[in-house]
Amino acid sequence: MSEEAAEMLLVEDSPDDVAFFVRAFDKARLAARLHVVSDGAEALEFVFRTGVYAHRNPASRLKVIFLDLKLPKVNGLEVLRRLKADPRIRTIPVVAWSSSQEERDLVESYATGVNSYVVKPMDFDEFERSVQALGQYWLQFNQTPKP
Amino acid sequence: MQAEQQLRDSLREIHDLRAALDEHAIVAITDPQGKITYVNDKFCAISQYSRGELLGQDHRLINSGFHSKEFIRDLWLTISNGRVWKGEFKNRAKDGSFYWVDTTIVPFLNEDGKPRQYVAIRAVITGRKAAEEKIRQLNAELEQRVVERTAELEAFSYSVSHDLRAPVRAIGGFARMVQEDYAAALPAEAQRLLGRIHENALKMGRLIDGLLAFSRLSRQPLNKQKVMVSTIVHRVLEELQPEQAGRRIKISVAELPDCQADPALLQQVYANLLSNAFKYSRERNPAVIEIGSHDEKGRRVYFVKDNGAGFQMEYAHKLFGVFQRLHSADQFEGTGVGLAIVQRIIHRHGGQIWAEAEPGRGATFSFTLDGGNSHV
Repeated sequence: MSEEAAEMLLVEDSPDDVAFFVRAFDKARLAARLHVVSDGAEALEFVFRTGVYAHRNPASRLKVIFLDLKLPKVNGLEVLRRLKADPRIRTIPVVAWSSSQEERDLVESYATGVNSYVVKPMDFDEFERSVQALGQYWLQFNQTPKP
Repeated sequence: MQAEQQLRDSLREIHDLRAALDEHAIVAITDPQGKITYVNDKFCAISQYSRGELLGQDHRLINSGFHSKEFIRDLWLTISNGRVWKGEFKNRAKDGSFYWVDTTIVPFLNEDGKPRQYVAIRAVITGRKAAEEKIRQLNAELEQRVVERTAELEAFSYSVSHDLRAPVRAIGGFARMVQEDYAAALPAEAQRLLGRIHENALKMGRLIDGLLAFSRLSRQPLNKQKVMVSTIVHRVLEELQPEQAGRRIKISVAELPDCQADPALLQQVYANLLSNAFKYSRERNPAVIEIGSHDEKGRRVYFVKDNGAGFQMEYAHKLFGVFQRLHSADQFEGTGVGLAIVQRIIHRHGGQIWAEAEPGRGATFSFTLDGGNSHV
């Protein structure tokens, strides 16, 4: 086994939702490091290792991205579009993590190549269960090709 | 002498009729080849051609170029086969202006059954056509405005979905976090109150989601097709298995005729009606739920009947309003959106929905899927 560290990225602008997500993530004891960024531009810098993330650990492996769709600066769909346009990045699974149940958002997300679309549950307990189940699935069960 | 008198009488009769017709209508007669052999004064006046300019010509002289070749061909096919043609025609007067005429062309046949001549009677309808065109334009404008308003509404409900859901989740979530993290430090009453905050936040979340589901429904295009209603009903009953667990329920599904409907939306109708039926009959042992259809005044009526709590008919008009509830939340839970959604779907299909009930003796919800005959 290689020594690469598994990472998970949450792109979320609401501090409340970040707090809930981090709490649920910690409770679930998932084997990964969680990074949180609060807008689309920063998300792109993180993934593409540019700007303040130019020196991000080259050995780390980003296993899944949780992406809110309504984001400041660069919106979620645009982030998704740029991630899926890059052949090296394309295989990193992206889970849309959204408040919207609009058919249009679902259709556009899948058309842009999203790997999963989950509506943030209203119920806090269910919110925690979702983060745990999704984290387990994408970190432990899901397989992706080597970058 | 008598014969001569009779002849005079009938000639006068014809003369009178013709004089009256000339006062009212544009009249022209053409030969079998379409050459004009007679026009009355009204024809000359409206077309602005003199009688001399018209006789011996055919109707191409006043052709507006508006009508298709097929339209003209159909006209000739009709009258040359001895049948009357009726229709609206756009013509061009001598000065290039256009006029519309409501036209009847009557073919008269000779002994061989071949057309001898065609008599065309016309009335000017230019004003009416202009009014129709105006209405068409206004309708198009109105539709455009509806499209714009709908888009605005869509943007509004989109922002509602995002902006209202988040703070409501936060209220419930933080209340829950305090409950969990400070369980030991909190007196029981404080625990209970935090639980109430959490519950109410959840309830508000459900109301917002219900409202959004309702508004989504109005914007979704109707995908009408032939639908096997019994398949839908059985699928819904299957999905509602959890609500039936541990209860004694007698369900009877009669033969349900197919209909024209949007299958996903009709499934939503049955899902809401049946889950109501299960919910409001849960104190019955056994609960009896009947799903059927019958013909009433030429309309196909579908119904869902239960022997549950029912309601007082004086409140029936409130039943289908958004957030309207006839039972208290601690008696029967719910958001009050389900029946509003059902009614919206039925109305979008051009149908009607109504309910009959008696407190303690159950309710019957009936609906049609279009105004008149709903047979396929």
